[in-house]
Amino acid sequence: MIDQTNRPALPIRDVSGRVPLIFMVSLAAALLLLGRAETYVVDRARQVVTDLAAPLLEMASRPVAAVRRVVESTDQYAYVFDENERLRVENKQLIEWKERAIQLEARLARYEALLNVQVDPEISYVTGRVVGDSGGPFVETFIVNLGRRQGVESGQAVVDTQGLLGRIVATGVEASRILLLTDLNSRVPVVIESTQVRAILSGDNSSTPRLDFLPPGSEFQAGERVVTSGHGGLLPPGLPVGTVVEGEDGLYTVRTYSDRTKLDMVRVLQYLFPTEVDAQDPPPILEGTAEDAPGAVSAIPGSRATPTGDGT
Amino acid sequence: MSFEPIGPTPAARAGKIALLVLPFLAGLLCVLLSFVPLSQIIYIDVAPAFALMAVYYWAVHRPDVFPPYAVFAVGLLYDLLSAGPLGLWALVYLIVYGLVVSQRTLVVAQSFSVIWVGFFVAALINGVLGWLLASFYFGQMLSIWGVLGQMLATVAIFPVFANLFQKLQDWLLVQG
Repeated sequence: MIDQTNRPALPIRDVSGRVPLIFMVSLAAALLLLGRAETYVVDRARQVVTDLAAPLLEMASRPVAAVRRVVESTDQYAYVFDENERLRVENKQLIEWKERAIQLEARLARYEALLNVQVDPEISYVTGRVVGDSGGPFVETFIVNLGRRQGVESGQAVVDTQGLLGRIVATGVEASRILLLTDLNSRVPVVIESTQVRAILSGDNSSTPRLDFLPPGSEFQAGERVVTSGHGGLLPPGLPVGTVVEGEDGLYTVRTYSDRTKLDMVRVLQYLFPTEVDAQDPPPILEGTAEDAPGAVSAIPGSRATPTGDGT
Repeated sequence: MSFEPIGPTPAARAGKIALLVLPFLAGLLCVLLSFVPLSQIIYIDVAPAFALMAVYYWAVHRPDVFPPYAVFAVGLLYDLLSAGPLGLWALVYLIVYGLVVSQRTLVVAQSFSVIWVGFFVAALINGVLGWLLASFYFGQMLSIWGVLGQMLATVAIFPVFANLFQKLQDWLLVQG
Protein backbone atom coordinates (compact mmCIF):
# COMPACT_ATOMS: atom_id res chain seq x y z
CA MET A 1 0.00 0.00 0.00
CA ILE A 2 2.81 2.31 0.93
CA ASP A 3 4.54 1.44 -2.33
CA GLN A 4 1.57 2.55 -4.41
CA THR A 5 0.91 5.83 -2.66
CA ASN A 6 4.46 6.83 -1.92
CA ARG A 7 6.47 6.39 -5.10
CA PRO A 8 9.77 7.91 -3.86
CA ALA A 9 9.98 5.10 -1.30
CA LEU A 10 10.79 2.66 -4.10
CA PRO A 11 14.42 3.59 -4.81
CA ILE A 12 15.27 3.34 -1.12
CA ARG A 13 13.77 -0.13 -1.07
CA ASP A 14 15.82 -1.15 -4.06
CA VAL A 15 19.00 0.00 -2.37
CA SER A 16 18.10 -2.01 0.70
CA GLY A 17 17.63 -5.13 -1.38
CA ARG A 18 19.68 -8.27 -1.39
CA VAL A 19 23.10 -6.97 -2.39
CA PRO A 20 23.77 -4.78 0.67
CA LEU A 21 22.52 -7.55 2.92
CA ILE A 22 24.92 -10.09 1.45
CA PHE A 23 27.74 -7.55 1.57
CA MET A 24 27.05 -6.75 5.23
CA VAL A 25 26.77 -10.42 6.17
CA SER A 26 30.18 -11.12 4.61
CA LEU A 27 31.64 -8.08 6.34
CA ALA A 28 30.36 -9.28 9.73
CA ALA A 29 31.67 -12.79 9.07
CA ALA A 30 35.06 -11.39 8.10
CA LEU A 31 35.15 -9.32 11.29
CA LEU A 32 34.31 -12.39 13.32
CA LEU A 33 37.26 -14.24 11.81
CA LEU A 34 39.62 -11.26 12.07
CA GLY A 35 38.59 -10.41 15.61
CA ARG A 36 39.76 -13.86 16.67
CA ALA A 37 43.28 -12.45 16.52
CA GLU A 38 42.36 -9.66 18.99
CA THR A 39 44.43 -7.09 17.19
CA TYR A 40 45.46 -3.71 18.50
CA VAL A 41 42.90 -1.99 16.27
CA VAL A 42 40.05 -4.03 17.71
CA ASP A 43 41.18 -3.28 21.25
CA ARG A 44 41.45 0.42 20.50
CA ALA A 45 38.00 0.46 18.89
CA ARG A 46 36.52 -1.22 21.95
CA GLN A 47 38.15 1.27 24.29
CA VAL A 48 37.05 4.28 22.29
CA VAL A 49 33.45 3.04 22.06
CA THR A 50 33.41 2.17 25.76
CA ASP A 51 34.79 5.59 26.65
CA LEU A 52 32.16 7.28 24.48
CA ALA A 53 29.31 5.24 25.91
CA ALA A 54 30.44 5.51 29.52
CA PRO A 55 28.97 8.97 30.21
CA LEU A 56 25.61 7.90 28.74
CA LEU A 57 25.65 4.68 30.75
CA GLU A 58 26.66 6.60 33.83
CA MET A 59 23.66 8.89 33.43
CA ALA A 60 21.33 5.95 32.86
CA SER A 61 22.71 4.00 35.81
CA ARG A 62 21.98 6.79 38.27
CA PRO A 63 18.20 6.34 38.36
CA VAL A 64 18.76 2.57 38.53
CA ALA A 65 20.98 3.03 41.58
CA ALA A 66 18.42 5.39 43.12
CA VAL A 67 15.56 2.91 42.64
CA ARG A 68 17.74 0.21 44.09
CA ARG A 69 18.46 2.28 47.18
CA VAL A 70 14.73 2.92 47.69
CA VAL A 71 13.96 -0.80 47.35
CA GLU A 72 16.73 -1.68 49.76
CA SER A 73 15.69 0.84 52.37
CA THR A 74 12.08 -0.40 52.25
CA ASP A 75 13.39 -3.90 52.76
CA GLN A 76 15.40 -2.69 55.69
CA TYR A 77 12.37 -1.07 57.35
CA ALA A 78 10.51 -4.35 57.15
CA TYR A 79 13.23 -6.27 58.93
CA VAL A 80 14.56 -3.62 61.25
CA PHE A 81 13.67 -5.50 64.45
CA ASP A 82 15.13 -8.87 63.41
CA GLU A 83 18.15 -7.16 62.00
CA ASN A 84 18.74 -5.31 65.24
CA GLU A 85 18.63 -8.55 67.24
CA ARG A 86 21.02 -10.24 64.85
CA LEU A 87 23.44 -7.34 64.90
CA ARG A 88 23.44 -7.24 68.71
CA VAL A 89 24.54 -10.88 68.83
CA GLU A 90 27.06 -10.36 66.06
CA ASN A 91 28.46 -7.28 67.77
CA LYS A 92 29.05 -9.25 70.96
CA GLN A 93 31.00 -11.86 69.02
CA LEU A 94 32.93 -9.22 67.14
CA ILE A 95 34.05 -7.49 70.33
CA GLU A 96 35.58 -10.79 71.45
CA TRP A 97 37.23 -11.16 68.07
CA LYS A 98 38.55 -7.64 68.25
CA GLU A 99 40.32 -8.38 71.52
CA ARG A 100 41.95 -11.40 69.98
CA ALA A 101 42.86 -9.51 66.84
CA ILE A 102 44.59 -6.76 68.81
CA GLN A 103 46.61 -9.32 70.74
CA LEU A 104 47.53 -11.25 67.61
CA GLU A 105 48.40 -8.12 65.73
CA ALA A 106 50.84 -7.06 68.42
CA ARG A 107 52.39 -10.50 68.50
CA LEU A 108 52.64 -10.66 64.72
CA ALA A 109 54.28 -7.25 64.51
CA ARG A 110 56.82 -8.41 67.07
CA TYR A 111 57.64 -11.56 65.14
CA GLU A 112 57.90 -9.64 61.89
CA ALA A 113 60.29 -7.21 63.49
CA LEU A 114 62.38 -10.00 64.96
CA LEU A 115 62.64 -11.86 61.68
CA ASN A 116 62.97 -8.75 59.52
CA VAL A 117 60.19 -10.02 57.28
CA GLN A 118 59.55 -8.10 54.10
CA VAL A 119 55.89 -7.44 54.68
CA ASP A 120 53.51 -7.08 51.75
CA PRO A 121 53.34 -3.57 50.39
CA GLU A 122 50.31 -1.58 51.36
CA ILE A 123 47.63 -1.56 48.72
CA SER A 124 46.02 1.68 47.70
CA TYR A 125 42.70 1.66 45.91
CA VAL A 126 40.16 3.74 44.06
CA THR A 127 36.43 3.27 44.37
CA GLY A 128 34.07 3.56 41.46
CA ARG A 129 30.60 2.65 40.36
CA VAL A 130 29.59 -0.14 38.02
CA VAL A 131 27.86 1.68 35.18
CA GLY A 132 27.62 -1.05 32.56
CA ASP A 133 26.19 -4.55 32.73
CA SER A 134 27.70 -7.43 30.80
CA GLY A 135 25.00 -7.08 28.15
CA GLY A 136 25.64 -10.41 26.47
CA PRO A 137 24.98 -14.05 27.28
CA PHE A 138 28.51 -15.24 26.46
CA VAL A 139 30.59 -12.66 28.30
CA GLU A 140 30.85 -11.74 31.94
CA THR A 141 32.28 -8.25 32.02
CA PHE A 142 31.24 -5.02 33.65
CA ILE A 143 32.11 -1.41 32.92
CA VAL A 144 33.26 0.72 35.84
CA ASN A 145 33.51 4.52 35.76
CA LEU A 146 37.23 4.60 36.56
CA GLY A 147 39.96 4.92 33.98
CA ARG A 148 43.56 5.86 33.39
CA ARG A 149 42.84 9.28 34.86
CA GLN A 150 42.24 7.59 38.23
CA GLY A 151 45.36 5.44 37.84
CA VAL A 152 43.54 2.27 36.84
CA GLU A 153 45.60 -0.16 34.77
CA SER A 154 45.02 -3.52 33.15
CA GLY A 155 45.51 -6.42 35.52
CA GLN A 156 44.47 -4.69 38.71
CA ALA A 157 42.20 -6.63 41.05
CA VAL A 158 38.62 -5.49 41.60
CA VAL A 159 36.80 -6.30 44.85
CA ASP A 160 33.35 -5.61 46.19
CA THR A 161 32.57 -5.54 49.90
CA GLN A 162 32.66 -9.32 50.16
CA GLY A 163 35.62 -10.46 48.10
CA LEU A 164 37.40 -10.62 44.78
CA LEU A 165 35.20 -9.85 41.82
CA GLY A 166 37.61 -9.97 38.90
CA ARG A 167 40.29 -7.89 37.31
CA ILE A 168 40.64 -4.98 34.92
CA VAL A 169 41.25 -6.08 31.32
CA ALA A 170 40.97 -2.83 29.39
CA THR A 171 41.19 0.79 30.39
CA GLY A 172 40.00 3.92 28.72
CA VAL A 173 40.47 7.46 29.93
CA GLU A 174 37.32 7.52 32.04
CA ALA A 175 36.04 3.94 32.02
CA SER A 176 37.45 0.45 32.35
CA ARG A 177 36.26 -3.07 31.79
CA ILE A 178 36.21 -5.67 34.56
CA LEU A 179 36.60 -9.32 33.59
CA LEU A 180 34.64 -11.26 36.20
CA LEU A 181 35.95 -14.44 37.81
CA THR A 182 33.05 -16.25 36.15
CA ASP A 183 33.99 -15.28 32.58
CA LEU A 184 35.15 -17.94 30.17
CA ASN A 185 38.54 -16.25 29.82
CA SER A 186 39.24 -15.69 33.51
CA ARG A 187 42.12 -17.64 35.13
CA VAL A 188 43.21 -16.69 38.64
CA PRO A 189 45.82 -18.48 40.78
CA VAL A 190 44.31 -19.32 44.16
CA VAL A 191 45.09 -21.36 47.28
CA ILE A 192 42.83 -23.17 49.66
CA GLU A 193 43.56 -21.24 52.82
CA SER A 194 43.72 -23.97 55.45
CA THR A 195 45.85 -26.48 53.54
CA GLN A 196 47.69 -24.15 51.14
CA VAL A 197 46.71 -26.36 48.19
CA ARG A 198 47.25 -24.41 45.00
CA ALA A 199 44.87 -24.31 42.07
CA ILE A 200 43.75 -22.19 39.16
CA LEU A 201 40.27 -20.74 39.32
CA SER A 202 38.82 -20.99 35.80
CA GLY A 203 35.62 -19.25 34.83
CA ASP A 204 33.18 -21.06 32.55
CA ASN A 205 30.33 -18.52 32.26
CA SER A 206 28.43 -20.33 35.00
CA SER A 207 27.92 -18.70 38.38
CA THR A 208 30.45 -21.02 40.04
CA PRO A 209 33.98 -21.08 38.53
CA ARG A 210 36.00 -24.33 38.53
CA LEU A 211 39.14 -25.24 40.48
CA ASP A 212 41.59 -26.55 37.88
CA PHE A 213 45.07 -28.05 38.16
CA LEU A 214 44.59 -29.30 41.70
CA PRO A 215 47.65 -31.33 42.73
CA PRO A 216 46.81 -35.06 42.72
CA GLY A 217 46.00 -36.37 46.15
CA SER A 218 45.40 -32.95 47.64
CA GLU A 219 43.06 -33.08 50.58
CA PHE A 220 40.47 -30.51 51.50
CA GLN A 221 36.78 -30.36 52.12
CA ALA A 222 33.86 -28.52 50.72
CA GLY A 223 33.20 -25.26 52.52
CA GLU A 224 36.84 -24.27 52.94
CA ARG A 225 37.95 -20.74 52.16
CA VAL A 226 39.69 -19.98 48.88
CA VAL A 227 41.93 -16.92 48.64
CA THR A 228 44.19 -15.53 45.92
CA SER A 229 47.71 -16.92 46.03
CA GLY A 230 49.51 -13.95 44.55
CA HIS A 231 51.44 -16.24 42.22
CA GLY A 232 52.33 -14.56 38.99
CA GLY A 233 52.48 -11.23 40.76
CA LEU A 234 49.33 -9.81 39.21
CA LEU A 235 46.93 -9.97 42.14
CA PRO A 236 47.78 -9.39 45.79
CA PRO A 237 47.86 -12.57 47.87
CA GLY A 238 45.21 -13.34 50.43
CA LEU A 239 42.17 -11.67 48.87
CA PRO A 240 39.07 -13.66 49.83
CA VAL A 241 37.57 -15.38 46.78
CA GLY A 242 34.93 -17.84 47.96
CA THR A 243 34.21 -21.26 49.43
CA VAL A 244 34.80 -24.67 47.89
CA VAL A 245 31.76 -26.56 46.62
CA GLU A 246 32.02 -30.18 45.61
CA GLY A 247 30.31 -31.04 42.35
CA GLU A 248 28.62 -34.37 41.70
CA ASP A 249 31.25 -35.43 39.17
CA GLY A 250 34.22 -35.04 41.50
CA LEU A 251 35.01 -31.56 40.17
CA TYR A 252 35.41 -28.76 42.64
CA THR A 253 33.90 -25.36 42.07
CA VAL A 254 33.95 -22.16 44.08
CA ARG A 255 30.99 -20.13 45.25
CA THR A 256 32.35 -16.61 45.18
CA TYR A 257 31.83 -14.19 48.06
CA SER A 258 31.32 -11.35 45.61
CA ASP A 259 27.79 -11.13 44.28
CA ARG A 260 27.61 -10.03 40.67
CA THR A 261 23.87 -9.43 40.85
CA LYS A 262 24.23 -6.80 43.59
CA LEU A 263 27.03 -4.66 42.32
CA ASP A 264 27.11 -0.98 42.97
CA MET A 265 30.40 0.41 44.22
CA VAL A 266 33.58 -1.57 43.64
CA ARG A 267 37.20 -0.98 44.58
CA VAL A 268 40.10 -1.29 42.18
CA LEU A 269 43.24 -2.30 44.07
CA GLN A 270 46.46 -0.70 42.90
CA TYR A 271 48.84 -3.41 43.89
CA LEU A 272 52.55 -3.34 43.15
CA PHE A 273 54.52 -6.53 43.14
CA PRO A 274 56.93 -6.53 46.13
CA THR A 275 59.99 -6.24 43.85
CA GLU A 276 58.65 -3.03 42.35
CA VAL A 277 58.56 -1.12 45.62
CA ASP A 278 61.19 -0.09 48.11
CA ALA A 279 61.86 -2.34 51.05
CA GLN A 280 58.83 -2.77 53.24
CA ASP A 281 60.25 -2.92 56.69
CA PRO A 282 58.18 -4.36 59.48
CA PRO A 283 56.79 -1.93 62.01
CA PRO A 284 59.48 -1.03 64.51
CA ILE A 285 57.90 -2.26 67.70
CA LEU A 286 60.00 -4.23 70.09
CA GLU A 287 58.85 -2.25 73.07
CA GLY A 288 60.35 -4.48 75.72
CA THR A 289 64.00 -4.22 74.61
CA ALA A 290 64.66 -0.51 74.31
CA GLU A 291 63.32 2.95 74.91
CA ASP A 292 62.61 3.94 71.32
CA ALA A 293 61.47 1.55 68.68
CA PRO A 294 63.88 2.27 65.76
CA GLY A 295 66.86 1.67 67.99
CA ALA A 296 65.45 -1.66 68.97
CA VAL A 297 65.22 -2.80 65.40
CA SER A 298 68.74 -1.79 64.57
CA ALA A 299 69.90 -3.91 67.50
CA ILE A 300 69.49 -6.89 65.18
CA PRO A 301 72.48 -6.92 62.81
CA GLY A 302 71.63 -5.89 59.29
CA SER A 303 67.99 -5.45 60.03
CA ARG A 304 67.72 -2.01 58.40
CA ALA A 305 67.27 -3.33 54.95
CA THR A 306 68.32 -0.95 52.21
CA PRO A 307 65.84 -0.25 49.44
CA THR A 308 67.77 -2.59 47.17
CA GLY A 309 68.19 -5.16 49.92
CA ASP A 310 68.50 -8.79 49.06
CA GLY A 311 65.62 -9.65 51.32
CA THR A 312 63.19 -9.52 48.41
CA MET B 1 15.90 18.81 -15.84
CA SER B 2 13.80 21.88 -16.32
CA PHE B 3 10.67 19.71 -16.73
CA GLU B 4 11.12 18.16 -13.33
CA PRO B 5 8.26 18.89 -10.97
CA ILE B 6 8.86 21.05 -7.97
CA GLY B 7 11.10 19.20 -5.56
CA PRO B 8 10.18 18.31 -2.02
CA THR B 9 9.87 21.21 0.38
CA PRO B 10 12.58 21.52 3.05
CA ALA B 11 10.09 20.25 5.62
CA ALA B 12 9.40 17.12 3.57
CA ARG B 13 13.12 16.61 3.08
CA ALA B 14 13.68 16.92 6.83
CA GLY B 15 10.90 14.37 7.31
CA LYS B 16 12.66 11.97 4.96
CA ILE B 17 15.92 12.36 6.86
CA ALA B 18 14.11 11.82 10.16
CA LEU B 19 12.54 8.71 8.66
CA LEU B 20 15.97 7.29 7.94
CA VAL B 21 17.78 8.49 11.04
CA LEU B 22 15.34 8.09 13.92
CA PRO B 23 14.69 4.32 13.66
CA PHE B 24 18.45 3.83 13.48
CA LEU B 25 18.98 6.01 16.56
CA ALA B 26 16.26 4.07 18.35
CA GLY B 27 18.19 0.88 17.53
CA LEU B 28 21.42 2.33 18.95
CA LEU B 29 19.61 3.45 22.09
CA CYS B 30 18.28 -0.09 22.49
CA VAL B 31 21.86 -1.37 22.44
CA LEU B 32 22.88 1.10 25.15
CA LEU B 33 19.85 0.09 27.19
CA SER B 34 21.17 -3.50 27.28
CA PHE B 35 24.18 -2.24 29.20
CA VAL B 36 22.38 -0.22 31.83
CA PRO B 37 22.84 -2.25 35.03
CA LEU B 38 19.18 -3.20 35.35
CA SER B 39 20.20 -6.43 37.10
CA GLN B 40 20.67 -4.31 40.22
CA ILE B 41 16.93 -3.86 40.62
CA ILE B 42 15.31 -6.76 38.78
CA TYR B 43 16.56 -10.27 39.11
CA ILE B 44 17.82 -11.04 35.63
CA ASP B 45 21.03 -12.77 34.69
CA VAL B 46 21.43 -11.14 31.29
CA ALA B 47 19.67 -8.01 30.10
CA PRO B 48 17.07 -8.65 27.36
CA ALA B 49 18.28 -8.18 23.78
CA PHE B 50 16.55 -4.83 23.26
CA ALA B 51 18.33 -4.32 19.95
CA LEU B 52 16.80 -7.50 18.52
CA MET B 53 13.34 -6.02 19.07
CA ALA B 54 14.28 -2.97 17.03
CA VAL B 55 15.75 -5.13 14.26
CA TYR B 56 12.65 -7.35 14.14
CA TYR B 57 10.12 -4.54 14.37
CA TRP B 58 11.57 -2.51 11.53
CA ALA B 59 12.29 -5.59 9.42
CA VAL B 60 8.59 -6.47 9.61
CA HIS B 61 7.08 -3.00 9.23
CA ARG B 62 9.52 -0.81 7.32
CA PRO B 63 12.67 -2.55 6.11
CA ASP B 64 13.26 0.48 3.87
CA VAL B 65 13.94 2.73 6.88
CA PHE B 66 16.10 0.16 8.65
CA PRO B 67 18.51 -1.06 5.95
CA PRO B 68 21.17 -3.78 6.42
CA TYR B 69 23.90 -1.29 7.27
CA ALA B 70 21.81 -0.02 10.19
CA VAL B 71 21.43 -3.62 11.41
CA PHE B 72 25.16 -4.11 11.03
CA ALA B 73 25.97 -0.92 12.96
CA VAL B 74 23.58 -1.87 15.76
CA GLY B 75 25.10 -5.35 16.05
CA LEU B 76 28.64 -4.03 15.88
CA LEU B 77 28.03 -1.49 18.65
CA TYR B 78 26.67 -4.32 20.78
CA ASP B 79 29.78 -6.40 20.08
CA LEU B 80 32.16 -3.54 20.80
CA LEU B 81 30.49 -2.69 24.09
CA SER B 82 30.05 -6.24 25.32
CA ALA B 83 33.69 -7.32 24.81
CA GLY B 84 32.40 -10.48 23.18
CA PRO B 85 33.50 -11.82 19.80
CA LEU B 86 33.59 -8.88 17.39
CA GLY B 87 31.00 -9.29 14.65
CA LEU B 88 29.07 -12.07 16.38
CA TRP B 89 25.80 -10.24 16.99
CA ALA B 90 26.26 -8.13 13.86
CA LEU B 91 26.26 -11.35 11.83
CA VAL B 92 23.42 -12.98 13.76
CA TYR B 93 21.20 -9.89 13.59
CA LEU B 94 21.83 -9.58 9.84
CA ILE B 95 20.85 -13.21 9.24
CA VAL B 96 17.73 -12.86 11.38
CA TYR B 97 16.95 -9.57 9.61
CA GLY B 98 17.33 -11.24 6.19
CA LEU B 99 15.04 -14.10 7.21
CA VAL B 100 12.41 -11.78 8.65
CA VAL B 101 12.43 -9.47 5.61
CA SER B 102 12.00 -12.45 3.29
CA GLN B 103 9.05 -13.76 5.35
CA ARG B 104 7.52 -10.45 6.37
CA THR B 105 4.46 -10.81 4.14
CA LEU B 106 3.36 -13.67 6.42
CA VAL B 107 2.98 -11.43 9.45
CA VAL B 108 2.89 -7.79 8.39
CA ALA B 109 -0.85 -7.42 7.84
CA GLN B 110 -1.82 -9.76 10.67
CA SER B 111 -2.86 -9.03 14.23
CA PHE B 112 -0.28 -8.22 16.87
CA SER B 113 -0.34 -11.73 18.37
CA VAL B 114 0.84 -13.15 15.03
CA ILE B 115 3.66 -10.62 14.95
CA TRP B 116 4.50 -11.60 18.53
CA VAL B 117 4.64 -15.30 17.61
CA GLY B 118 6.84 -14.32 14.68
CA PHE B 119 9.13 -12.55 17.12
CA PHE B 120 9.26 -15.66 19.30
CA VAL B 121 10.48 -17.68 16.31
CA ALA B 122 12.97 -14.96 15.32
CA ALA B 123 14.31 -14.76 18.89
CA LEU B 124 14.69 -18.53 19.02
CA ILE B 125 16.65 -18.55 15.75
CA ASN B 126 18.70 -15.61 17.01
CA GLY B 127 19.54 -17.36 20.28
CA VAL B 128 20.46 -20.72 18.77
CA LEU B 129 22.49 -19.10 16.00
CA GLY B 130 24.36 -16.89 18.47
CA TRP B 131 25.03 -19.85 20.71
CA LEU B 132 26.34 -21.97 17.82
CA LEU B 133 28.63 -19.22 16.54
CA ALA B 134 29.93 -18.37 20.02
CA SER B 135 30.60 -22.07 20.69
CA PHE B 136 32.61 -22.29 17.46
CA TYR B 137 34.41 -19.06 18.28
CA PHE B 138 35.48 -20.13 21.75
CA GLY B 139 36.12 -23.71 20.61
CA GLN B 140 33.99 -25.26 23.32
CA MET B 141 30.38 -26.09 24.02
CA LEU B 142 28.90 -23.15 25.91
CA SER B 143 25.79 -23.39 28.02
CA ILE B 144 22.75 -22.55 25.93
CA TRP B 145 20.50 -21.80 28.91
CA GLY B 146 21.82 -18.29 29.45
CA VAL B 147 20.98 -17.16 25.94
CA LEU B 148 17.61 -18.97 25.91
CA GLY B 149 16.67 -17.24 29.17
CA GLN B 150 17.67 -13.94 27.64
CA MET B 151 15.53 -14.62 24.56
CA LEU B 152 12.49 -15.55 26.68
CA ALA B 153 12.82 -12.31 28.64
CA THR B 154 13.12 -10.44 25.34
CA VAL B 155 9.96 -12.06 23.94
CA ALA B 156 8.11 -11.28 27.18
CA ILE B 157 8.73 -7.54 27.01
CA PHE B 158 8.41 -7.25 23.21
CA PRO B 159 4.86 -5.76 23.33
CA VAL B 160 6.11 -2.76 25.33
CA PHE B 161 8.81 -1.96 22.82
CA ALA B 162 6.63 -2.76 19.80
CA ASN B 163 4.21 -0.18 21.16
CA LEU B 164 6.97 2.42 21.47
CA PHE B 165 8.25 1.72 17.97
CA GLN B 166 4.68 1.91 16.67
CA LYS B 167 4.36 5.40 18.18
CA LEU B 168 7.63 6.41 16.55
CA GLN B 169 6.50 5.00 13.21
CA ASP B 170 3.14 6.79 13.35
CA TRP B 171 4.85 10.03 14.23
CA LEU B 172 7.29 9.59 11.35
CA LEU B 173 4.45 8.91 8.89
CA VAL B 174 2.82 12.17 9.91
CA GLN B 175 6.14 13.98 9.48
CA GLY B 176 7.03 12.25 6.22
